[in-house]
Amino acid sequence: MKRRGRGIACMWYPIGFTVAANPSAATVKVNEDGTATLLTGTVETGQGSLTVLAQIAAEELGVATEDVHVVSADTDVTPMDTGAIASRTTYVTGNATRLAAEKAKAILFNVAAPMLGVRPDQLEARDRKIQVKRFPQRQLPISQVAHHALFVKGDPPIGSASFNPPTVAMDPETGQGLPFATYVYATQIAEVDVDDETGEVEVLRIVASHDCGTAINPMLVEGQIEGGISMGIGLALQEEILFDDKGRQINPNLTNYIMPTSLDMPEIEVDIVPSYDPTGPFGAKGVGEPTSVPTAAAILNAIHDAVGARVHSLPATAEKVLAAIKESRVQGTKQLPGTRRAIAGPAA
Amino acid sequence: MNDKLRVTEKELTQEALRDPTEALRVPVVTPPVPYPIETLVPEVRQQTPAVGQRATRPDGRLHGLGQTRYIDDLTFPGMLHAKIKRAGIASALIKRIDTSEAEAMPGVMAVLTGREIPVNSFGPSLQDQPVLCDERVFHAGDGVAAVAAVTEQIALEALEKIKVEYEPLPAVLDPLEAMKDDAPKVHPPASNIYSHKIIKKGDLEKGFAESDHIFEARFSTQMVEHVPLEPHASIGMWDSNGRLTVYSSLGRITLGRTDIARTLRLPINRVHVVATIVGGNFGGKNEITQEPVVALLAKKTGRPVKAVYSRGEEFTSSTTRHPIIMDYKTGVSRDGRILARQVKLYLDGGAYCSWSETTLGKACILSPGPYNIENVEAEAFVIYTNKTVTGAMRGFGAPQVCFAYESHMDDIAKALGIDPLEIRLRNAFSEGSISPTGQVLHSVVVRESLERAAERYGWQESQS
Amino acid sequence: MTEVKMKLNGETRSASVPPETTLLKMLRESFNLTGAKLGCDVGDCGACTVLVDGMSVNACLMLANQVDGREVLTIEGLATVEYLHPVQEAFETFASLQCGFCGPGVIMSAKALLDENPDPTIPEIRDALSGNLCRCTGYTKMIEAIQDAARILRAKEHA
Repeated sequence: MKRRGRGIACMWYPIGFTVAANPSAATVKVNEDGTATLLTGTVETGQGSLTVLAQIAAEELGVATEDVHVVSADTDVTPMDTGAIASRTTYVTGNATRLAAEKAKAILFNVAAPMLGVRPDQLEARDRKIQVKRFPQRQLPISQVAHHALFVKGDPPIGSASFNPPTVAMDPETGQGLPFATYVYATQIAEVDVDDETGEVEVLRIVASHDCGTAINPMLVEGQIEGGISMGIGLALQEEILFDDKGRQINPNLTNYIMPTSLDMPEIEVDIVPSYDPTGPFGAKGVGEPTSVPTAAAILNAIHDAVGARVHSLPATAEKVLAAIKESRVQGTKQLPGTRRAIAGPAA
Repeated sequence: MNDKLRVTEKELTQEALRDPTEALRVPVVTPPVPYPIETLVPEVRQQTPAVGQRATRPDGRLHGLGQTRYIDDLTFPGMLHAKIKRAGIASALIKRIDTSEAEAMPGVMAVLTGREIPVNSFGPSLQDQPVLCDERVFHAGDGVAAVAAVTEQIALEALEKIKVEYEPLPAVLDPLEAMKDDAPKVHPPASNIYSHKIIKKGDLEKGFAESDHIFEARFSTQMVEHVPLEPHASIGMWDSNGRLTVYSSLGRITLGRTDIARTLRLPINRVHVVATIVGGNFGGKNEITQEPVVALLAKKTGRPVKAVYSRGEEFTSSTTRHPIIMDYKTGVSRDGRILARQVKLYLDGGAYCSWSETTLGKACILSPGPYNIENVEAEAFVIYTNKTVTGAMRGFGAPQVCFAYESHMDDIAKALGIDPLEIRLRNAFSEGSISPTGQVLHSVVVRESLERAAERYGWQESQS
Repeated sequence: MTEVKMKLNGETRSASVPPETTLLKMLRESFNLTGAKLGCDVGDCGACTVLVDGMSVNACLMLANQVDGREVLTIEGLATVEYLHPVQEAFETFASLQCGFCGPGVIMSAKALLDENPDPTIPEIRDALSGNLCRCTGYTKMIEAIQDAARILRAKEHA
């Protein structure tokens, strides 16, 4: 009989390396038509860093995202970067990008100030214009300022900057210290059906509430969460590299190593928790890795809720779940207290 | 078979070009199928802010048109294909490597062994990993020799002709066994426990003494592969100034360049690394693998050399997620407040350190969970075994410890008759909470995430 | 050598390849059509999916000479000078692809589905994609995009 259960799991996860320096550098060049080029040594590995970094540079320069072209992943061209690791790109490379854009913008403000008859600190960049704060009608197109900076003032608007998250080394005896600059938090709730005769688990629904600081691009945050959940489902129920007694892998192929397909994915509801980290670029932290952290825990708690059996080792294959169900019955000390309702036939 | 293949290669390159009809039929570079280039000019939005928008990805259209060029999609004139021979034995001394038969094969342009690598060791924290094993094999997926040939097929056949003589050594496969004093050493004379971390806060004994209930449980997790859809791929080529260019599926090019320069004993400014767009990383493409091999084969042959992992190598010879054995002991008050928690973690470190130190650190720091606990002790060990290398993978040990601390939490909740959401809210961090390492936390929203998820799910409504 | 003559992305093309050459190898090496990817070489991952006579196939499992006299459509032949295929457009709008490596295969599977079934249900879409592995996205935004593309295609049909 299929039994339904629900499970909750929350987590915390840091951004960047543990104590070790993990700097990023960036260069922003504003072209004479007001578009910009960002050079970054990080690598687009699917997470959307090209988009997010363009949005950060655009926000700082007051231009549109499409106005910023990002050049990445070439050691001859791009400045040093610790890379696409440790959920650090939005926070660390993002901070470097914002600082670089700020420096380029300062050159534009210095050029624009006499043109508008104000001090540089009275200016702001918005909607592709450089305008006087609180007097937006007094403005110049950013293209005109950039052109003037390059061809009249001979002061090309280029900014370079770097960022390294501040940490304090941990004491070797007690581990006391500040290993990370910031952390993100999340909760996922899973709903599953467990067949108590076969041990098979079907994940029906996952609600995921994730903190990433400011979501620079909510669509990409959703994509990270959905993808992280699929990886978490694999960890929870399916994936395992197996070895023979001589230490050789038994299943080094995608026929026998089972990872989630489109048929294994539940309904996913993504919720981005409102949050703002003053140390991040425009309040952003990061989202890459933490998305797959609480999934397995939530699913295993849902299995426990459904059939009253605790599986202590991942993955919770049908065999292990069935064994745990039998064990919990043999123990006989408890009935199935977690079972709320049994579902007759396929889930409605 | 070899003759046939040799003819093939020749026909496809030289002969095909000389025969005018053939050249018409099989253009060297087919003109790309036309696509709507006009619409590639972006529609520009006039408004800021840019942050917070659902901006489309600049690489999205290229992906959808099949125009994104990953490493394996690049070809260069005269390019050779390399393959690496894998040991297939978990622990052994290499007595002899005979490459003569392979070298004599038509179509084979060069063979490389570990002894030819200028500095045959690398690794992000400990340099304990050889590029190709020279004296000893540490796990079955280790490379022992490499071949560059005119086709991938010839390279694969040549691997079969390389004879390696091994003296098998006892292999240690279980991390708890490997911790014992009399266990065979994976990297003698070094201890199998190659890194250790401890975090202590408060007074653990006092915390347990004050607790109304004490719960203990052991959890364990498995070895998992990243499975990026794009297998590791690298191309190496040199110019006449002795400058090396490596195209490689690497997520961190700056430090990849450092490692490549170090293994080849080159000044860093002689090395150029390009990663284009990487087809999935998840932590598995954060260190070099075969880059020095393609570079040295390219140097030997004077031609560009490409190597692409097979899906099998992706499993056996790239890094994986650490299996962790996790012992939890938690003391709680009657109303479900955690008063003391002791955690011991044993990470299966595989044959080399790779990113194990980082994983060890994060797993240890995060293992008590996002909860206010006065008295904590978390200790973690990472242990060498003669198994596939474990390294960075999405979460650095966090999914494993989260599975443990959250399973443990539900067991405690059930025993005390407290709702799982409620017990978490009673213990969760809030703004200004102090972490087990003594860090004052800011922008803490774990409670908000619990409450929002519960509301969205309908947690109260679905209560029995 | 085997002579293979086929209609490739709408044009008559031919190649002369060794008999053991797979369709995928011929497309990538003889025609420089690198959209279809080599992900596993044994038909598990679907990154090499192309259409042969309208049916989605794993190009790594098919020999080149098996497409002799047939019609082959690859991702490169899906868009025209005038327009992107609605599936391509929807995948871009919804950010359905992340690293993109599985994308050409997924889009070809989706195209085969929509040709056959203009109004697929979510389970039918899941079924159609079950042979295409993706590690980045969890498939969620792909399914949304395919539903959207189906709507657009149906609207075009009616217009």
